Amino acid sequence: AGSASGSRRFLLKGSLAGAAVYMVYEQGLLGSGVQGAEALKKAQEALPPAIQEWTSYIGWEVRNVQLPPTPKFDFSPSNSWNKGVQTVMSALSVAPTRACEYTAEGWKYVKDLVK
Amino acid sequence: MASEGELGRKWDRCLADAAVKLGAGFGLGIVFSVIFFKRKTWPIAFGSGMGIGMAYSNCQHDFQSPYLLHGKFIK
Repeated sequence: AGSASGSRRFLLKGSLAGAAVYMVYEQGLLGSGVQGAEALKKAQEALPPAIQEWTSYIGWEVRNVQLPPTPKFDFSPSNSWNKGVQTVMSALSVAPTRACEYTAEGWKYVKDLVK
Repeated sequence: MASEGELGRKWDRCLADAAVKLGAGFGLGIVFSVIFFKRKTWPIAFGSGMGIGMAYSNCQHDFQSPYLLHGKFIK
């Protein structure tokens, strides 16, 4: 009886683990890079309506005040990186000029203080 | 289609895939840890590591095969 319940328990555990692995595989999470990116995009699209549904279910929706719109998760790391590089480079290119200007202003301020 | 745009899209795809595979590996690691391994930590680390490895391999193939089009084989 002990071994029978033990094997039943093992079968149940195996079924749960197998179901989890199959679900992950079926969603395309273990496939190619294109499938993974598409799965993330689908999840991002499904998130704002889910948040909306949950907040209305919990009852956080106030009738008089409009909740802010749910944020869109259309994030491109390469675009953000490129913008960051451009910002840094443009800042570096104007840095010597700005440094001269601030030095001159600071020197003028000190001279006025000393007078 | 500009080549630097295509490179940016590949990086985006790569990072998205890495996030998905890391999450899936982490999740499956938790499932296996709870079901089979008495809530030990190592299956979670193993699953996460496997996910990262799979993502790295996919990225490597994507970057090293610039002339391949992504398609689906329909029998």
